[in-house]
Amino acid sequence: MTFAGIPHNTLVVAAGVAAVGFAAGVVGSLAVLRKRALVGDAAAHATLAGVACAFLATGRRDLATLLLGALASAIVAMGALVLVRRFTRTRDDAAIAIVISVSFGLGIALVSGIPRWGFPGSAGLEQFLLGHTAALTVRDAALLAAVSVGSAALVGLALKEATLVAFDAAFAAATGWPVTLIDSLVVALVATMVVVGLPAAGAVLVTALLVIPPVAARQWTERVGPMLLLAGAIGLTAALVGVAASAAVPRLPTGPLVVLAAAAIFAASFLAAPERGWIARRLRAARLEREWTKGRVLDRCLREADAAADAGFTRQEVEAAAAGDRRGGSRATSRAWDSLVHEGTLAPAAGGDRWRLTPDGAAAARERRRRLEVWDRAFDRAPDDVRAGLTIDLPAPESVLGAADD
Amino acid sequence: MSTILGAAAWWGGVTPMHGWNIATAVVVSASCALVGTLLVVRRMSLFGDAISHAVLPGIALAVLAGGRPGGPLVFAGAVAAALLTVWLTQGLRDAGGLAEDAGAGVVYTSLFAVGVVIVTLWGSGVHLDAACVLSGNLAYVAFDTMSVGGWELPRAFVAGGAVFGLLAAAALLTWKLQVYTAFDPAAAAAAGVPVAAVTAGLLAATALATVASFDAVGVILVVAMLVVPAAAAQLLVRRLHHMVLVAILLAVVGAWLGYLAAWRWNTNDAGMIAVVLGLEYLVAALLAPGDGVVSRVAGRLRLAWRVACEDRLAVLWRAEEAGGAALRPRSVVEWLAAAWLRAGGSIDGRSGGERLSPRGRRAAEMVVRSHRLWEAWLGRHAELPLDHLHPPAEWVEHHLGAAVRQRIEAELGSGESDPHGREIPPEA
Repeated sequence: MTFAGIPHNTLVVAAGVAAVGFAAGVVGSLAVLRKRALVGDAAAHATLAGVACAFLATGRRDLATLLLGALASAIVAMGALVLVRRFTRTRDDAAIAIVISVSFGLGIALVSGIPRWGFPGSAGLEQFLLGHTAALTVRDAALLAAVSVGSAALVGLALKEATLVAFDAAFAAATGWPVTLIDSLVVALVATMVVVGLPAAGAVLVTALLVIPPVAARQWTERVGPMLLLAGAIGLTAALVGVAASAAVPRLPTGPLVVLAAAAIFAASFLAAPERGWIARRLRAARLEREWTKGRVLDRCLREADAAADAGFTRQEVEAAAAGDRRGGSRATSRAWDSLVHEGTLAPAAGGDRWRLTPDGAAAARERRRRLEVWDRAFDRAPDDVRAGLTIDLPAPESVLGAADD
Repeated sequence: MSTILGAAAWWGGVTPMHGWNIATAVVVSASCALVGTLLVVRRMSLFGDAISHAVLPGIALAVLAGGRPGGPLVFAGAVAAALLTVWLTQGLRDAGGLAEDAGAGVVYTSLFAVGVVIVTLWGSGVHLDAACVLSGNLAYVAFDTMSVGGWELPRAFVAGGAVFGLLAAAALLTWKLQVYTAFDPAAAAAAGVPVAAVTAGLLAATALATVASFDAVGVILVVAMLVVPAAAAQLLVRRLHHMVLVAILLAVVGAWLGYLAAWRWNTNDAGMIAVVLGLEYLVAALLAPGDGVVSRVAGRLRLAWRVACEDRLAVLWRAEEAGGAALRPRSVVEWLAAAWLRAGGSIDGRSGGERLSPRGRRAAEMVVRSHRLWEAWLGRHAELPLDHLHPPAEWVEHHLGAAVRQRIEAELGSGESDPHGREIPPEA
């Protein structure tokens, strides 16, 4: 049976791996929000040893057996991480690196040793290093899909609790939520997704399936629910790209292609997302910068107008003063001047190249000055509050003024 | 020279040919341990992880461009890829507000994926393949030799030795700057230390150590050499320069034993080196003096034992004070404590008719004295109800020394009894 020329088998495997991608994105979102992005990496690198041990213990090579071994070793690795944190002075970062590298070393030693020790039918274990979906059967795909759907459903059930713990663990604990239990559930889900992600991405890269889609989704939304769904969709897309590529070029491992697809989506999100995207931020920062320069030029005009009464002022002296440079204005002040003229804030005065503020312009300039004074007072009175308002990456303090006014 | 190395390898029953492989593993792991110590104390192990994954595309492109493994072009490619990783991670943090671990997770997995794709698609023509990228190829380093001053030496050994020399010289020259930056970057910056340059230098050094180890152990297991000996050394010693030396020693021993173990059990050298380093860490975590699990458990057991003995003495003393018979030991620990005290001559008589010996009575009096002084002090200062005074005193009685007892007594005024109206025994 085929569909549009694609064998039935490939389609079923694609659906199963797509489910894995979706669930990995959903579960990974919780891990990323809880700032546990790399804990899964320790579990992931450890799975290789589990796969090898499962083969050594049972002599079987079917996916369910090997993945059970992987799950066991993932749990052991997480346990080792907890023990290192609890009983030694080793810092978190080093603890993760130790678990990753030592468990992976053990896995490499076992996987390299197994064929040399003469075990029959041992070929194929190294496919768990970098992922290889081309070898999956329909039954394998059904297993992966079932576990993935179950994990995603669990996240759906525990979403409120997990969100609370992710954003304010201290509050959750104080109001009686079982924080340790919820954290354990998240970690268990991460371990599960790492394991079912192995055929798609391999031990070395499966973390990417849990980290990149959530980080990309985070760029587009401020809400947890949509972030989870979007992360799932991104993971699903990446997984499908991996399956397609693995079907097209069999010698290419799936993992790197899944990761590259996810990374491309992340790069696009990082640059182009409407609110948090890099381009949007730069545009916003540039606009604020322009507004601020305009305000400074306007203030200078008011000062010159107050000093010179009806005589007006020249563009040259205002711009030089606003730019803080005796020799003249900058490109920014020149642009600010032009837009003030364009808005009708400035108008030509009677004589030659001299200018004056229009009544509206003078009013706007005085209002700005008043607000800045309010701002100064607010800063004197409660500098910490004002600074807290400033940390929202605004180059200009105006936005805080409204609040300080009250 | 190879005779000496052969002798060093004899212990494992390996032939002299393996000497060069072991020497290469030793020299690259020493470089990694040197750099790794600074990464670990600066809590930058994550960058070791990230850099070791991310050098792959740099190495792969350099090899495709005609560079030889271990040659200058490959080193340059690896350092460029490492600095790109760090720059991207920090860029995502500063420009995108991404947490550092999430950012690194995105960057290094992506770069590693690029590297694997390059190696898989175009690597076969230049003798790179995904398996040796992941697990190294230590067994073959002896076959790729170059001539140095008349000696035919393995290329990987020469490159590793040169990198170790370079890194050791750099570490010696910039040691004070590194230490200052590691422990107080703000003060170092204020004192005029170019903190950013020192950090960049450390990261470049990490890349150099990584790429020098590439032939021997592959890119991922380098993390074991970078972090594990350093973390183990951190558990064992306190001073940074001691830590460096211990880390190098552990790395050298780990590389040697790991190679021999891999030879004995016919498996991958790099994997076994990582496993042996992990075992070294485990031993350090268990046996480290002072902080190790064993010595901490022993310390707690000692304390628990002292508490049990002192409690037993106090029970007998209070029974004598009340004129009744002492309670029999209610648990195994209490029974053992009683037996121990009897053997030590603090208790006379058999169970049932136990009496304190003069020495036991003195010790018991000090415990009861601590207990009652603390109750009296709490009663005066903490405004606790009478029935809440006993539990804290039951804890504290084992930890008050003579000096503290005297100060409490001086503050309470002598002749004071405890809040329950019982006499406080005098200081011995």
